[in-house]
Amino acid sequence: MNFSLDDDHLALKQSAAVFLDKEIVLDALLKPGASVAQANYRGNWKKIAAMGWTGIAVPESYDGLGLSCVDLAMVLGEMGRTLAPSPFLGNLIGTWALLKFGTDKQRQRILPAVAAGTARLALAVSDAAGDVDDHSPEVSAQPSAGGFSLKGTRAFAIDAADADWLIVDAHNAQTGRRGFFLVDAKSGGLDIDVVNWRDLTRQVCDVRLNGCACEEMAPFTPTDWAWVQDRILFALAAECAAGTQQILSMTAEYAKERVAFGKSIGSYQAIKHSLADMLGQAECANVAVLYAAWALSEEAPQASLAAAMAKAFAGDAYVECTHRSIQIFGAIGFTWEMKNHLYLKRAHANAELFGNSRVHRSRVIDFAQQAAA
Amino acid sequence: MDFRLPAENDPRRAAVRKWLSEHPKPSGRQLAEAGYTVPHWPKPWGVAAEPELQFIIDEEMGRASVMPPNLINPVAINNCAQTLLTHGTDAQRERFLMPALACEEIWCMLFSEPAGGSDLAALRTTAKRDGDHYVVKGQKIWTSLAHKAQIGVLIARTDTAAPKHAGLSAFLMDMKSLGVTVRPIIDLSGHENEYNEVFLDDVRIPADRLLGKEGEGWRIATSQLQTERVALSKPGAIWGAGPSARDLVNGLAVSGHLSDPVVRDEAAKIFIEGELLRLLAYRALSDRMNARPAGPEGAIRKMLAAPHGQHIVEMAKKVQGPRGMIAGEQPFPSQVGSGKGMFADWDYAFWFSPAVTLGVGTQEILKNIVAERTLGLPRENDPTAKLPWIEINRAKSA
Repeated sequence: MNFSLDDDHLALKQSAAVFLDKEIVLDALLKPGASVAQANYRGNWKKIAAMGWTGIAVPESYDGLGLSCVDLAMVLGEMGRTLAPSPFLGNLIGTWALLKFGTDKQRQRILPAVAAGTARLALAVSDAAGDVDDHSPEVSAQPSAGGFSLKGTRAFAIDAADADWLIVDAHNAQTGRRGFFLVDAKSGGLDIDVVNWRDLTRQVCDVRLNGCACEEMAPFTPTDWAWVQDRILFALAAECAAGTQQILSMTAEYAKERVAFGKSIGSYQAIKHSLADMLGQAECANVAVLYAAWALSEEAPQASLAAAMAKAFAGDAYVECTHRSIQIFGAIGFTWEMKNHLYLKRAHANAELFGNSRVHRSRVIDFAQQAAA
Repeated sequence: MDFRLPAENDPRRAAVRKWLSEHPKPSGRQLAEAGYTVPHWPKPWGVAAEPELQFIIDEEMGRASVMPPNLINPVAINNCAQTLLTHGTDAQRERFLMPALACEEIWCMLFSEPAGGSDLAALRTTAKRDGDHYVVKGQKIWTSLAHKAQIGVLIARTDTAAPKHAGLSAFLMDMKSLGVTVRPIIDLSGHENEYNEVFLDDVRIPADRLLGKEGEGWRIATSQLQTERVALSKPGAIWGAGPSARDLVNGLAVSGHLSDPVVRDEAAKIFIEGELLRLLAYRALSDRMNARPAGPEGAIRKMLAAPHGQHIVEMAKKVQGPRGMIAGEQPFPSQVGSGKGMFADWDYAFWFSPAVTLGVGTQEILKNIVAERTLGLPRENDPTAKLPWIEINRAKSA
């Protein structure tokens, strides 16, 4: 039993922090009217690729780094803390999906290129309501010459427009069952629209498939999907927890500097107590994420419970704390030129993606009762 | 990093289990002599247990249904007796420690006064030297266990000309002394003697009962409020002694309320809070094992844990509907509770719950401490901090 981070983790976090603090500049997004196009999404990715983070979750047998989820929590946290706009998350999610649902051949073909930074992946699994858990027949896969052909729409696909390969959740018309299908982004019949997503630091897309050619992947199993989904929830939660910590630090610093009625506003208890509450939430979110990271790294029986708790708690904490931050900054915090809104929007967006906190709390009760039984 | 708890076949567990099988219903003295009452203390009182062994001992005692001595004699074991190790004389240690650890002498803490709760250093009870005695005059309030206690740890003012923090001293007072009157306070739960008032009318305390030196009272009092063992406490109602969030979810499952989506969602929030508080406590333990600097984590955890306990019992009360307003009604079959005695009583835990954000530092004071010490926000300004205490009172009465 050792709940403390070891020195290697702290060193990894520190080096990620130094790199991202130097390289990620959000100034262009703070000009009114900015959009995701000004986020330096591709430029940041080049730098990130140079750090070797493209293959961060790719196993060493496919030339990747094969880092554990605890290691990943360090990098994901720093990415979240700095809001680093880049296809990092979408590619990571795609990597996990390919690891579980790719055939040996598909993995051998694509994963080394992902690790080398020459190919990117994305997962298209959401229906129009944002639901990812139930198989919805919004995309169907029809057998066709040499493979399958996809028809339908997937929504809220992270980093899909810049991906070289898409992994699409669809209803297999041949078997009548849910399955994942691999799409080459150069295929005809594929349209990807970047939606006008409020979180400017992230690319979110609609994926339209009009008879698009694809390859069938390994058979769907709920266990494999849980493996992927738990990791996605953990990744979003890791961003949320680190973002919560960051917005807390920014707000506490501001409360020390800003003077009203002859004293820094941080000396008033209304502000102090609000910040103390934020600290409590940041601490809990952080420990929730580390617990999930450990449980996933170990493939422990409580991994799904831990991931659901982390997503539910850190998602809500981030929303709450980014809102409070704007209240403490006062009216200046409500302007486009301050960073507060970038965090607020990331918080709300992360809270909604892959199931909101209520959805995951309901799952927590299920898991807790299963564990107690 | 490893979130695994000490394994079932851990040899340290076997040793504790062996002792427990040889002492199936251990007395307070047996526990104290084995070092299990304060395992983290040095020998001969404890077993110099590292945090993981403390965890194992706590868990095995719980499984064997041994009432934890720190719930029987909390003031001595959790708070005060440890200062005897650092501040006490050999004679004091010899006289007081073992009876306290064995729960043969119950202790109480004579700190709060009608005029000073949160602002403890403003207290007015005085102790004047008279030959080889001190003569104490004043009144204490909110004293848990005063009606049962043989020993009271008293903070009183020995120097009225010094600033308020500097003029205080600590004493070990015999509660049976002439001039000590204990009156129960009946709290809103209807329980008598959970708290008491203690009147001190010219009580004579032998000078060798002074703890530490004159003027060290504030330092001793604050060190006594930092309770190391609370790091191991489980999240739950009544500061962890009562029903837990796991008990709540089990109860709601049995009573069928979890099928209501609103109840389910609220219960899940509370359940997650409980799990995260447990993890925070384990992390604090790990940080101690790894010799990482300990922050004001205790204050953060109490700030979170006290309202968490309230959430548990509020939820349980809410699902009872008007039935919950009948005194003593329990929300769930009794088997879902993991507490013992009055700590298994959900109704009592509910009506007691306003106290948990007041006792041992109000929620507001804790938030100040957390914001000031962890986030570095400006400290509260106390205009009376540097004044001679006697002048503060003069200014007030003028």
